[in-house]
Amino acid sequence: MTVADALVMLVQYWLIAGAVVAVLFLVIGIDRIDEDARGAYVFRPLLVPAVLLIWPLILWRWFVLETGRDNWAARHHPPRRQHFYVAIILAVLIPLTFASGLSLRQTWPADVAPVQLSKPAGEDG
Amino acid sequence: MSVKYVPVQWNPNKWYYDAALLIGVVLFLWIFLYITPEALSHERPINPQVHNARAFGACAFVMLSIILCIGPLARLDRRFLPLLYNRRHFGVMTCFVAITHATYILNWYFAFSSSDKYSALLFANTSYGQLAGFPFEAFGIFALLCLMILAATSHDFWLKFLTAPVWKSLHYLIYFAYFAVVAHVSLGIVQDQQNPVLLWIIGIGAGSVAVLHLAAAIRERVAGDPAGAGGKWVSVCGVNDMTEGYAKIAQLPNGERVAVYLNEGKLSAISNACAHQNGPLGEGKIIDCLVTCPWHGFQYNVTNGQSPAPFTEKVPTYRLRVENGTVMVDPQANPPGTYVEPLSISSGGAA
Repeated sequence: MTVADALVMLVQYWLIAGAVVAVLFLVIGIDRIDEDARGAYVFRPLLVPAVLLIWPLILWRWFVLETGRDNWAARHHPPRRQHFYVAIILAVLIPLTFASGLSLRQTWPADVAPVQLSKPAGEDG
Repeated sequence: MSVKYVPVQWNPNKWYYDAALLIGVVLFLWIFLYITPEALSHERPINPQVHNARAFGACAFVMLSIILCIGPLARLDRRFLPLLYNRRHFGVMTCFVAITHATYILNWYFAFSSSDKYSALLFANTSYGQLAGFPFEAFGIFALLCLMILAATSHDFWLKFLTAPVWKSLHYLIYFAYFAVVAHVSLGIVQDQQNPVLLWIIGIGAGSVAVLHLAAAIRERVAGDPAGAGGKWVSVCGVNDMTEGYAKIAQLPNGERVAVYLNEGKLSAISNACAHQNGPLGEGKIIDCLVTCPWHGFQYNVTNGQSPAPFTEKVPTYRLRVENGTVMVDPQANPPGTYVEPLSISSGGAA
């Protein structure tokens, strides 16, 4: 099995685990932790993709709410400070990346003869 | 807002917003595919799959750039706030456009070998040790994964379930996604592009995102909310600086922001962070004792931090007092929804 095959298989297992969590959470858990969800069923299929993708985070929040460990004060403390650092990093990385791409460009006439960069696989040097 | 969840809480503004979005996407694709095909280097023979893949890819890039410009634009100039209103639908639509781009790529470049196409996408190019010829697809896969997570968690349920700070932290992925997209196009289509139109679009889009974020960050640093000073009680501003119906925002020593309102000659203070998406409540105006969040219209009674029935959102409240003409706030927040007797500015006592 190649690394690529293993990664694809890993994704499949991740999604299967997510599907199990989705069934448990949307059938049992959601009614226990959010009163606004009780009796509301039409919107639940919309939640399935998120559970498939981030099910560990869902399980953690479910555990926190179920066990009464939620910190109400943290709910009103937005992570605003990171905006400044994100802006600085974006302002540096974006032009740098685009300039790198431009500097790598090769100029060519459309009918330039192709040059082989390496020998085909299986041929000895 | 709360009460019972529905798939989408439609209202006329959302219909107009989404209609404008859809028209914009169709117009962009139509122009790129049929009016100016040479902009995509279609002067050379090209098949429909690649044709469509490039158009949807360019469209996703432009949409993502616009989405990322909306935030700093709204911070720099309040007239852009309406664009912020339904940005989540903008993001979901961008995700679908990006998925369409990826599907065209997968079903053309990787669909005709004996290997599984998803595996082929991962092993077709593994030259990770060099910049020229770098497997730029990896950046695209990462960006698409981020967009899918953001789109999938866009329902209001996730905001309440994860809490706004966790949800917002998760949605910081948009910045990583955008950087990955810039790398994806810089090491991908930019290498193969002979016509300069697409290069200009990429350069202007990415440049706008970088410059606007930098400008908004600098402005926040220079002219942001002032930090309150003092010991146990923190000073906010002078009583005479208050304007009827509006708030003054101050930063508390722990970094949280408090919005102090003057309503009918009396002072009240609540958290500046809306319970919905942590929008800046202090920038809203009071009407009938209710302040309206400028981002999505959530309302709160400034005396108790509660949304009017039947809604159930609550924000913390704060105690106030006036000392020598200065408004002072107790940095210890009351639990969300706690009533605090409004403080008459003439009495100057504590509340």
